[in-house]
Amino acid sequence: MVAVLEKEFVLDLAEKAVKTALRCGALEAEVFVYDSTATTVGIERGQISKSQRIADRGIGVRVQLNRAIGFAYTNVVDSHDVIEEIICKALNAARSSKPDKNWCGLPKIKPFYATLEKTFDSKILDLGAEDLVTVASRMLNSASEDNNHVFPVEGGAGASYVSNAIANSNGISFFDKATIVECSLATIAKEGSVVTPVCFEFNAERTYNINPEWVGKEAARLAVSALNTKRIETKNYKLIFTQFALQELLYYTLINAVKADNVQRNQSPFKGALGEPVGSEVLTIYDDGLLAGGLRTGIFDGEGVPRQKTPVLEHGMLRSFLYDTYTAKKEGKESTGNASRPGYLSTPSIEATNFHILPGNKTSDELLNEVDDGLLVYYLQGAHSSNPISGEFSVVATPVWRIKKGHLEHSSRGVMLVGNIFNLLKNVAVVANNERKMGQLVAPWLLVEGVKVIGK
Amino acid sequence: MKELLKKLTGVAATKFDAEYAEVRAQKLSKTSFTMKEGCVEAAKQGVENGVALRVLVNGAWGFASVGSFSFEALTDALSNACAMAKAAAFYLKLPVKLAPTKTVEDYVQIKSNKNPAHVSIEDKIKTAQTINKTALAFDGRVKSCTVDYLDLTGRSYFANTDGTYIEQDRLYVWSKLSATAKQNGVFTYSREEIGSTAGYEVFDLEPPEQIGEKLAERAVNQLRAEPVKGGTFPVVLGPNVVGVFVHEAFGHLAEADLALAGGVLANNLGKKIASDLVTFYDDGTLEGAFGSFKYDDEGVPAQKSLLIKNGFVQGLMHNRETAQKFNTQPTGNARAEDFRLEPLIRMRNTYFEPRDYSFEELLEGVREGYYLKSFRGGQANIDGTFQVGIQEAFEIVNGEVSKPVRDSSISGSTLETLFKVDAVGKDFALYAGRCGKGQTAFIGDGGPHIRVKEVLVGGSA
Repeated sequence: MVAVLEKEFVLDLAEKAVKTALRCGALEAEVFVYDSTATTVGIERGQISKSQRIADRGIGVRVQLNRAIGFAYTNVVDSHDVIEEIICKALNAARSSKPDKNWCGLPKIKPFYATLEKTFDSKILDLGAEDLVTVASRMLNSASEDNNHVFPVEGGAGASYVSNAIANSNGISFFDKATIVECSLATIAKEGSVVTPVCFEFNAERTYNINPEWVGKEAARLAVSALNTKRIETKNYKLIFTQFALQELLYYTLINAVKADNVQRNQSPFKGALGEPVGSEVLTIYDDGLLAGGLRTGIFDGEGVPRQKTPVLEHGMLRSFLYDTYTAKKEGKESTGNASRPGYLSTPSIEATNFHILPGNKTSDELLNEVDDGLLVYYLQGAHSSNPISGEFSVVATPVWRIKKGHLEHSSRGVMLVGNIFNLLKNVAVVANNERKMGQLVAPWLLVEGVKVIGK
Repeated sequence: MKELLKKLTGVAATKFDAEYAEVRAQKLSKTSFTMKEGCVEAAKQGVENGVALRVLVNGAWGFASVGSFSFEALTDALSNACAMAKAAAFYLKLPVKLAPTKTVEDYVQIKSNKNPAHVSIEDKIKTAQTINKTALAFDGRVKSCTVDYLDLTGRSYFANTDGTYIEQDRLYVWSKLSATAKQNGVFTYSREEIGSTAGYEVFDLEPPEQIGEKLAERAVNQLRAEPVKGGTFPVVLGPNVVGVFVHEAFGHLAEADLALAGGVLANNLGKKIASDLVTFYDDGTLEGAFGSFKYDDEGVPAQKSLLIKNGFVQGLMHNRETAQKFNTQPTGNARAEDFRLEPLIRMRNTYFEPRDYSFEELLEGVREGYYLKSFRGGQANIDGTFQVGIQEAFEIVNGEVSKPVRDSSISGSTLETLFKVDAVGKDFALYAGRCGKGQTAFIGDGGPHIRVKEVLVGGSA
């Protein structure tokens, strides 16, 4: 169904462009070719009313000249003239830029690259608008099946394909392709004059194995259970953070703190803390770029370095930071394969792959049973306004659910959670076993002691 | 380009059964770089050319985007978009209809004093270096300074089956600056954003030295700041916070698509939802402002839209689809980030209209509260819960600005909070920003200093 660029074509394109760049005067060159197609159907105001296909492909060229880096890109991949033109632009950009004394060269080929399973599924590539309409309508039907207070606000179903090819002047030349299929639904519930905050569920997989009925049911269940709402008092509570909340909070704080460039630039509280306890003993976190079925799993990173499994925290002890080639060489280390490249529009930057908080052995019910008086936290507002360096946050949780003696009693709105993420990590008491994938986070629910909550 | 676009809209209507079709093309060049402590990561130059095709068939939308100007490739994509629209219409109960608009033919040129396309990369790097140097030299406790720079120039093209054809120049200059400071285990972070649709002269309005100093000074001052006491307090909000408050707490609720999706404003049109002192505009016509443009991505002229007047809701922000649902005129708020994406209802420059209080008069009424001067992020929920993160704040004690406090936020219900605005200043400032709603839009927001009788302040002390 979808016309994609073939492996041989893009590798040939990338390798030739590297040669051209060297011929034009580059001392080092790297070419990245990106090809993506995303097909989606969209739900608006309770009905499926649109479908889209976005095809985006392009080529990015990075060159080094006297230790200054230039980069140029174009989304025209079928013209040699245009590609020569952007190579010249990259060289010009390097000439106009400043030498970087820390530049130590592009990566070389490593001896081992993994063979991955379940990262590409041709069934996903073949999904058309009709198939996705079916997925979305199954999801919508199961959302409205049990309760007439539920209103699906927006959502949809989508299938996407991405291929990356990378070649550089040290002989790297690799190709990888990936698929993701997903469906999501945002709902509110209305009863009389009461309107709940937006609740949300989704399912995303690398192979064609999603459960739209579950997504619809869960999104509806959450919204309906948010109808019964009461105020809560201001005090310290035990909190259970679901993956939605963790993803928001950790992305802007902990994940930044373990990126090597932030550590090197004094922008991380973890500077000098390798081997020291920075979290609760129950916390073990790997950044695992090879995790089976992980949404960010791939053979190589944005520079062609193999992805790997890097211990970040083991039983609360800080074990490693996340590196790309540039930051690793600065410290005489090897890259951990964390150079990320979301497309052809930019040079690589350090990003976590699958940030995996290892599960414990309590079920979600057992975790709830540990709580006499606390809150179950799903959706946060304003996590991006956290202080990314100190980890201080002041965010809104809406809705949250009050836990009393292990049971969910009622929901509450607009409560504020205040604290410091790095202290919070030390106060994780119990880790559940209900792990799931959400963006770059793979994690179970966490029970955290003593978080300040400001009620309304 | 005109011929190609007209041909495509013609084919959509005659061959593929489209009730409506629009074609948007762009030819854009971007220059960008990131500088960290004086060191350029990579100077970048890019070209982004492509076409978006949007059609209405059987009452459902089909959309395709292609990075090519080839008639054959675009006709294929158009055919596919129409087929997808038909598939999407399968379970449709309420077909999409569009409010009528005047057809337009226009060619919009931007005359810039300093077109960034004519400023060398060397000069742009020099500006960033000055900011960097000033910030790092300000105080030994400043540990890092990051400058992100981007400019975008080119032309966009629009045609639809109603007969509208528009060409517009595009010009944006944007920069995000941040600095961190550290002392005795305390980390502070300060950020600033600059943006203009006028040209590179934005760096003449506020010279790089001044920007660097402001950035560093804030980070250093925060080092001695103490944690905020949480609870309900009277606050004075600075224009920088007022802008984000108007944008997040009210603006998103006034986007007609979110209002229709169950937001709290749909049933409040014409009703009083704020104190008498509250008047809000969303204005796409302010010259040079970061959220300004001549025509939106449905070919509708941008305008100055009155959202609230003296506390009464006057109108919402519309695209053609929601305007039809509300039986009103589209307001020129349909914007797409680029050719890859469909237009959505987005804000332009959203602001709180000034009144007559001086800053001192605003403070006078506050015995114990906070002066919240500049923001760091904010987010809205369609149920009317807002959050605005604060990077720079001070205690107010007996009508005077006192000690600095750090890392706070304010939250509340929009409909309750707007009634609590009890005094509005006479000053005014507009800030450049970016808004994320699935896509990124360049926007402006601002207003005067204002006082709010009580609001929930998040603090750990």
